Amino acid sequence: MTQYLITQLLNGLIVGSLYILLSIGLTIIFGMLGIVNFAHGALYMLGAYAAYTVVGVLSGNFLIAILVVPLAIGLIGAFLETTLLRRLYRVEPFYNLLLTFGLMLAIQDAVRIGYGPEGEPFNIPSALLGAVNLGITYYPKYRLFIFAITVLCSIGLIVFLEKTKLGSIIRAGTEDSDMVDALGIDISKIFTLVFGIGAALAGLAGVLAAPVQNVEPAMGMSFLVETFVVVVIGGMGSIIGSIIAGLIIGETLTIGVLIWPPMATTLIYVFMAIVLLIRPRGLFGRAEFLD
Amino acid sequence: MIMQPLMDKIREAPARYIVSILIILFILLPFLTPYTALASEMLIFALFAMAYDIVLGYSGMLSFGHAAFFGLGAYGTGIMLVHLKAPLFIAILVGVILSFIAAWPIGYLSIRRRGIYFAMVTLAFAQMFYFIAFKWTALTGGDDGLQRIPRPPVGPIRLESELTLYYFILIFVVASMLLGLRIVNSPFGKTLQAMRENENRAKSIGFNIGQFKLFAFVISAFFSGLAGSFYALLLNYVPLGSMHWANSGEVVMMTIVGGMGTLFGPMLGAVAVILLRDIIGAYTESWNLIMGILFMAAVLSFRRGILGFLKERL
Amino acid sequence: MGRKHLITIFVIIGLAILWVPLVAAEEPVKVAILTDMSGPYAGICASNVEAVKMAIEDFGGMLLGKKIEFFYRDHHCKPDIANQRAKELYEREKVDIIIDVPNSAAGLAVSEQARLHKRLFISVGSGTTEHSGAKCHRYCFDWAYNDYMLATSVGLWGADNLGKRWYTITADYAWGHDLFKNFTAALKKKGGILLGNDNVALGTADFTPYLLKAKRAKPDVLVLLNAGKDANNATKQAVEFGLKKEMKIIHALIFVPSIRAVGPEIFADDYVAGAWYWKVDTPGAREFADRWLKKFGHRPNWMNPANYSATLQYLEAVKRAGTKDPEAVIKQLEGHTFRDLFASPGYIRAEDHMQVGKAYIFRAKKAKEIKIKDDCFEIVGTIPPEQAYMDPNKTGCKMGGF
Repeated sequence: MTQYLITQLLNGLIVGSLYILLSIGLTIIFGMLGIVNFAHGALYMLGAYAAYTVVGVLSGNFLIAILVVPLAIGLIGAFLETTLLRRLYRVEPFYNLLLTFGLMLAIQDAVRIGYGPEGEPFNIPSALLGAVNLGITYYPKYRLFIFAITVLCSIGLIVFLEKTKLGSIIRAGTEDSDMVDALGIDISKIFTLVFGIGAALAGLAGVLAAPVQNVEPAMGMSFLVETFVVVVIGGMGSIIGSIIAGLIIGETLTIGVLIWPPMATTLIYVFMAIVLLIRPRGLFGRAEFLD
Repeated sequence: MIMQPLMDKIREAPARYIVSILIILFILLPFLTPYTALASEMLIFALFAMAYDIVLGYSGMLSFGHAAFFGLGAYGTGIMLVHLKAPLFIAILVGVILSFIAAWPIGYLSIRRRGIYFAMVTLAFAQMFYFIAFKWTALTGGDDGLQRIPRPPVGPIRLESELTLYYFILIFVVASMLLGLRIVNSPFGKTLQAMRENENRAKSIGFNIGQFKLFAFVISAFFSGLAGSFYALLLNYVPLGSMHWANSGEVVMMTIVGGMGTLFGPMLGAVAVILLRDIIGAYTESWNLIMGILFMAAVLSFRRGILGFLKERL
Repeated sequence: MGRKHLITIFVIIGLAILWVPLVAAEEPVKVAILTDMSGPYAGICASNVEAVKMAIEDFGGMLLGKKIEFFYRDHHCKPDIANQRAKELYEREKVDIIIDVPNSAAGLAVSEQARLHKRLFISVGSGTTEHSGAKCHRYCFDWAYNDYMLATSVGLWGADNLGKRWYTITADYAWGHDLFKNFTAALKKKGGILLGNDNVALGTADFTPYLLKAKRAKPDVLVLLNAGKDANNATKQAVEFGLKKEMKIIHALIFVPSIRAVGPEIFADDYVAGAWYWKVDTPGAREFADRWLKKFGHRPNWMNPANYSATLQYLEAVKRAGTKDPEAVIKQLEGHTFRDLFASPGYIRAEDHMQVGKAYIFRAKKAKEIKIKDDCFEIVGTIPPEQAYMDPNKTGCKMGGF
């Protein structure tokens, strides 16, 4: 029984990991640029397809995919920001939300037309096959790998933001972008960088997910709304919030289906509604974002 | 010679003239569209888009929950017709009332937040209603949808003919449009616009923002429910998808494309989007791609929408 | 009234007399297919358009002295679009028959439109048993398969050959529940036990909690009552957690595109039922498969010849009736036995309008066993129609008049 429970809890951790990567990206984009990026799921999907292209089509290995794909998706994100999103900074922010919504439709359909709707095969890289003996239970090696990468990334990101000059500029920009601009720093470049980082994280999540999920054009859709839930509960703009909320949601979805299957997925929407009504800034968000 | 004063009149008192022109367009619509059922669909979504603009364009609230109101209208009417074999007007009334009643608590709770938070709360509520519709199979048909909805006669008039149904719906739509016109020109409507322009100033003058927003929300839900009611009649069927929050995305598109904040522009937007969808969707497989691109183009460089564009040109 | 006027009047009357028979002459036979060309099942269903076209061409392209007209529409697997398209086709294009319509909700919506417009509908793609059950009517026929056949055939065979202790994971919507009901009935008939079931929301990406539950229950067989991307995800994760070493897996519905999508290693040694395979010995099947290969670069899945067959049998029925009047054609179809490249023999039951034939049980091959392109399945058993389909008197169908 314990073995079974531990395995389920570990599963929740892994699901949570993907949500963490996705929601950190979403939350810094919202925190800094005020954009609710509906295209985030599409970027995740592009990451998975890029991984397929590197490994399946170009016969690269998985390690290369992990290093190259987030960079590529990050660049795509930066490109989208400079060419499209930037034009709408002067008007009300909800236009950018709509723009990303249209982007999501277009990207998803373009991939469907290009690659077909069923999906592409992607297997767990042979080096990461098999299970690890954790004492209490055996657990798939690859899933632990996902967790490890997520931890590394989160720590790396936090260190970057806390300890480097660029990081502090970004943190300042999240608090007050006009002030940063007034201090002479080119805020538009920072915006592009932040969107790029967010996109890169989504792309990384896509690469990590490819071996354990069906790589198909709509794969981002099932994650998108739940990622919003994580971000809202954690607090828009807060990385720590995303991490904690990501873990909570991951575990809720996993353990929830064992306790009360019919309601499990709806439960997280109820959570979100409650958070929004009682403490809208979420667990770790800042009150200023309410406007 | 005659045109100049006419054009001036159109520019100055636009709403009345626009409504007149739209009504003429709608009367002729069945003869302009490939098949009548398509015209009816346009009419229904025109009503839905008009309802939506009350909340989006006039009150500045982006709602992802309106699919729930549309759905409640559709299911309410459908269930009355299928399970209780109710007469037509009672069924429509029930659908609309259901939507109206649901709007009060949802609106009350959601209004307390603004911007994206408001949108997320409405999304959460929409998901909950979707879940109920999905699970309560005995009543709603669940995933299969509500099937075999009849069209009871109105006195001696039979509604099986698509053309007859169209004009039946049109009567209600015209009434709604005139009602909408009244609301927009009323002190209530003008206050909404003032709030949209500058909420803090309106608040400082002493208006109870929350109350106004709630009324706008509920009125919008009322008309959305009415549109949903007719949808059930048109299709003889209610698909579960009509309750899904992504359905709200389509109506947002129609509102923007038509002209946000003009109340009647979105009706044109609905006609345009549905026509486009029918033509493109019948033969090519790239409907979503084209819609996505068009939507982006509209948001980037055509934010005034069709009506805004026309107003400027004249 | 001068001579000119008189001549004009005579000419007009003369033309009118000639015109009347022209107008009164029958319109050509119009065949339409409504299917998923860009939605989730496009990979399997979009090619059905070609299958119907082929059937019309092979039939000769002419019927009742006129060229057969062909229409195709895309419903993106959405029931509301299907509803509107059916109206468009029946009202504007005045088609005599709509074929296919995958997705059960869409199929039911189109069936209702067929009933209201008094035109034919042959459902191929949608699997709901309602077509031949509670929602049956004279104008609707169900071709090739339904959920009862899918579940029962592999259920009966599996209980005999794979083991009697089962665990099921069901897609949580009408189709899934329908399959679950039929699977468990088949299991019970053979004295098997159901160890547990999980209902999983559609579109769930992570099946691991349920798979672990299944693993813990230690069944002989794990049954995945889902399809498409859900089936792909579930199976991929089942392999990852080593479930295949401990149990066999049965699927509700698997086609070659799914195998291509995740790779044959994922589905290797899994079992599924189907109505046809490109290597069966039905006369004409192999030629059809070869033509398909030449045209598309891959072999057909069983939906393709099913649509071909539905079209062909309709056209033959019109020919036998000598008219395209729906009532006459329907009477020709009811109770008819036929042999074509899809079913040999196939039989159209008058009681519930279900087209029945034998069901095949397939085992998905391991990657190294696949020697020819698309030869992904091995036929391991067949179930005769009397067992594969429900007793027509028990379906709940009250087939009325016109």
